Amino acid sequence: MLTIRNLHAKVGDKPILKGINLEIQAGEVHAIMGPNGSGKSTLSSVLAGRDDYEVTDGEVIYQGQNLLELEPEERAWAGIFLSFQYPVEIPGVKNIYLLKAAVNAIREHRGQPELKAGEFLKLVREKLKVMQMDEAFLHRNVNEGFSGGEKKRNEILQMQLLEPTLSLLDETDSGLDVDALKIVGEGINRMRDPGRAVLLVTHYQRLLDTVKPDFVHVLADGEIKLSGDSSLAQRLEREGYEGIEAA
Amino acid sequence: MSGFDTLLSQSSAPRASEARAVGLPNARVERWKYVPTRALARTAWIAPSPRSGNGFTLSGGQFDGVPKTAGLQVSESKLTAQETARLDAMATAHGFGLTQDALDGQRLVLDVAPSQEVTLPLKHLANQSQEAGFATLVIRVGANASLSLIETFEACASTDPNLDSLRIILSLARDARVNHLKFQAANAHQLSFHAIDVDCGENAQYTLDSIDFGSKMARSDIVVTLNGRHANADVRGLALCNKTQYHDTHLAIDHAVGETTSAMMFRNMVDGKGEATFNGRVLIRKDSQGSATEQSVANLLLSDKARVNPKPELEIYADDVTASHGCTVGSLNATELFYLKSRGISEADARAFLQYAFAEEVVARVAHPEIREQIEARLLGELTHGELIAELKDAFDV
Repeated sequence: MLTIRNLHAKVGDKPILKGINLEIQAGEVHAIMGPNGSGKSTLSSVLAGRDDYEVTDGEVIYQGQNLLELEPEERAWAGIFLSFQYPVEIPGVKNIYLLKAAVNAIREHRGQPELKAGEFLKLVREKLKVMQMDEAFLHRNVNEGFSGGEKKRNEILQMQLLEPTLSLLDETDSGLDVDALKIVGEGINRMRDPGRAVLLVTHYQRLLDTVKPDFVHVLADGEIKLSGDSSLAQRLEREGYEGIEAA
Repeated sequence: MSGFDTLLSQSSAPRASEARAVGLPNARVERWKYVPTRALARTAWIAPSPRSGNGFTLSGGQFDGVPKTAGLQVSESKLTAQETARLDAMATAHGFGLTQDALDGQRLVLDVAPSQEVTLPLKHLANQSQEAGFATLVIRVGANASLSLIETFEACASTDPNLDSLRIILSLARDARVNHLKFQAANAHQLSFHAIDVDCGENAQYTLDSIDFGSKMARSDIVVTLNGRHANADVRGLALCNKTQYHDTHLAIDHAVGETTSAMMFRNMVDGKGEATFNGRVLIRKDSQGSATEQSVANLLLSDKARVNPKPELEIYADDVTASHGCTVGSLNATELFYLKSRGISEADARAFLQYAFAEEVVARVAHPEIREQIEARLLGELTHGELIAELKDAFDV
């Protein structure tokens, strides 16, 4: 589904990604772990098309197309979803406007008929229930005044509604208490499917107790230093990044 | 030379010759620095021919149809010395003030009786080509009375310059409340002038929502004086300038006594070759202890040729005050745009969402639901790609 070859990216003059190679197949969940500043968030941002970063070398092929040539909205239409580490507050735009506009934009590009207001409400209520969110969230402004945990739930709610083929989850576990972590983790698990893949960026192992990854990669200094199965995450938790890097 | 020379030479008003001699303000006059006065100067303005409309209207400098509402009546008393002094200050501020004073069509004085609640909708009818209409409205709001003054503008498809100018003197007795809304969506060739002078007594409250969407050029001079303890002024504005529109607001709030509060919030959204000027001045005098003011000014530039001239000013001479202020100038937030686009929303729709959100900060606070809907509909009509939001609002807003 996704092939990353020798990906280099910089922000300003500072190189952040220094040759990433990664292959993700449909049905797989990959976890990218690594210390602060290793380039984890940059990787997911570059894949989603954020233009703060400049790709200087390498290529990314997603379902046979050159991903790096696509605009962020075109990537979303193609089935890519980024759950933001810091979801953006947009005062003045109601959550429900964003959700319905997004769902119908993506449906249009999938050749599906537009959802009418009633059909959309039915769908969104179902997903709200899964995320244990109150319907009042729909009528609040996008992420405005939401707590950290509410923002992350709102991200996973969007993911559930948009049904992406490839989900990029950037530190979705940060700022969550134990209960919220469980709800978010289960929300992600519901999206596991032989046709979909997940790239989960995290600093800690705790989300991986709920969302069991097929592969774990250690990213340090802009490169994947080590890959393994889910047991690697537990090893990291015990030995820390320094221990692994030294080995 | 001013486009008002002929009218002024025919006028016998006391200030006509002075107005001719002084002429229109030019770029050397600080408060008129950015105003494109050419449009004023090169039109040979003619006397207006007032029309009647439905309800309370202003046309060609004449009011018509003062509503027969309980608590509201045309005053029989003369202007007080204080009211005269306030009008004089407006007149002598600059050459346009003198012109306005000399060419004033009607001065209407209204009284709102104490403890009464009055709604007064005033419709500005569009003047004909080259017609310049000037008028003055004086309203005295009695103790504990409440007035909703709602100004709207007829939008006819005029193809030539026309001018509408109104001075408003508002006096709020103690505990009076005035909710003033101006929704200016006049024709694209109108030059629209508004001068508002408000005096708030003890515990009086003045709220203004000043919305400027229309006109080729709109200038508002707003002065609010908080003259009694616990008086409060809350002034908000939104100007939308497209194409070659010019919108200019000069707002001054004077905390003349202590324990008074004020807030000003202005938003300018400028596209094309539009230009917006905002000057917001708050004065807290030396003895006005225990006062508080909040100032928030934001300017959104949507094109390379758009211009804004923001000038927030805080002059505080008392020690015991709370003041906050912020002024920003910028284009649409890149992170917010990326967030929306990453959800599959097209660039055009994402931009419309963020422009709408910017304007909504002001529009959402408009107290009259009916006018608020008109403002929102017009706003969405002005935005390129406002249709999606209009559809979402229809579907989900109760």
